[in-house]
Amino acid sequence: MTETYEQKIDKVKGIIEKIEDGETSLEESIRLYEQGSALIRQCETLLGEAEMKITTLSRDV
Amino acid sequence: MDWFNCEETIQAGKTTPMSVSEVSAIIEELLDDASLQEIWVKGEITNYTHHSRGHRYFSLSEKGGGTNAAVIRCVMWRSSAEILAFDPEDGMEVIISGSVRHYAPHGVYQLQVDEMLRAGLGEKYLLVEQWKKDLTKEGCFDTGRKRPLPRFPGTVGVVTSETGAVIHDIRNVISRRYPLEIVISPTAVQGEGVHSEIARAIRRISSHADVVIVARGGGSFEDLFPFNHPDVVRAITACPVPVVTAIGHEVDVTLADLAADVRAPTPSAAAELVVPDRQDLQEWLIHLRSRMAAALDTRVERARETTCDLRDRLRPQRLIRRIGERRQGIADLADRLEREFSARIGQERYLLSELKGFLEAGNPKQILKRGYCVVEKNGKVMKRVAGIVKDDRLSVRFIDGKSFVSVERVEHDGNL
Repeated sequence: MTETYEQKIDKVKGIIEKIEDGETSLEESIRLYEQGSALIRQCETLLGEAEMKITTLSRDV
Repeated sequence: MDWFNCEETIQAGKTTPMSVSEVSAIIEELLDDASLQEIWVKGEITNYTHHSRGHRYFSLSEKGGGTNAAVIRCVMWRSSAEILAFDPEDGMEVIISGSVRHYAPHGVYQLQVDEMLRAGLGEKYLLVEQWKKDLTKEGCFDTGRKRPLPRFPGTVGVVTSETGAVIHDIRNVISRRYPLEIVISPTAVQGEGVHSEIARAIRRISSHADVVIVARGGGSFEDLFPFNHPDVVRAITACPVPVVTAIGHEVDVTLADLAADVRAPTPSAAAELVVPDRQDLQEWLIHLRSRMAAALDTRVERARETTCDLRDRLRPQRLIRRIGERRQGIADLADRLEREFSARIGQERYLLSELKGFLEAGNPKQILKRGYCVVEKNGKVMKRVAGIVKDDRLSVRFIDGKSFVSVERVEHDGNL
């Protein structure tokens, strides 16, 4: 995974701020919305797929 | 006894006798020495009395006999005795902290005890105090170096015993809130010299996790003692990722807890601190999505308003009026064209009829009708007498026929 959950969430927040900002063009807003929706879906997937994995380090290392 | 002599002897030293209170005051002043205030003293309890009012009276004795044998009377007022963690009794080795006071009404000096610890345990306690001072100087407990915990860790490292309730609790909480990768760096958490193993376990895990929990279940001061060791404290301070400690119960504060970025009251609480709640996150995602949709709606609505506004401004009334004007212009032109044209046609027609008149006038038949004749010689019209000679045969055309004549004589007009 190249991007962490946190980075995705930060991106989504940035996108929302851009859309809310009046300066962004409509085309850009729509493009951003699609991008944001995709990111949220990815985040949901990440949360949904979260699985506990337990590793125990060797004491000898 | 020679009273007089005796009196003289006294008067030789000092003229008037001191009052008891004066002497007592001097004693008190002498005892009020820094080396006798707030000191730690080790010894054995003897003559222990638990007074009905709650005060404790006893003597602190030094064993060994001979010249080393010594006793100090001690008192521990109820307010200090109330926080005693054990019941003192005769023969018990203790370390006490307090100050030497002179009690004038009884003419005794005694050690007024603020704190009493069992020997062994007490020594460890003092050691912790010393370490705390040293490590504070090193900056291990500076609040400025406390780091925030990552909001969404990928891996949680846990330094604790592989077995027991602690790791079980942490696993439970993490699996319930946000299942993710847990890396356990196992270590013994109790026993002699275990501090270096704990420190090693912390160092070992630091490169494998985004946040580290150092945890141990409840226990006595001695059980938790390794977590006060400078090795453990420094391992926590040196850890490149934030460390959350949960050592013993909430009331127990070890030096490891002081050095940690965050101290949790229990291992479960530590686990709750390091991982977010998945359900909260999912709800938050829903919130983010609706906020984003609302933002886009607003944006689209704004674009619609702009479009409406532009359409209003673009409404073609003026254009239609202008086209009307043009159309009127064209109609006028067409009218004018037609008028001009028909006038011209009329004129042409008039000219033509005039021409026709002229043409009619030139018609040879008309001339013939009027009694003129056309003379032809060999089929050629002869307009002049030149070219006609005697005996020429000519045809003379009248309106109603031809006559053929022969020329008898030719006369030219005088100007020839």
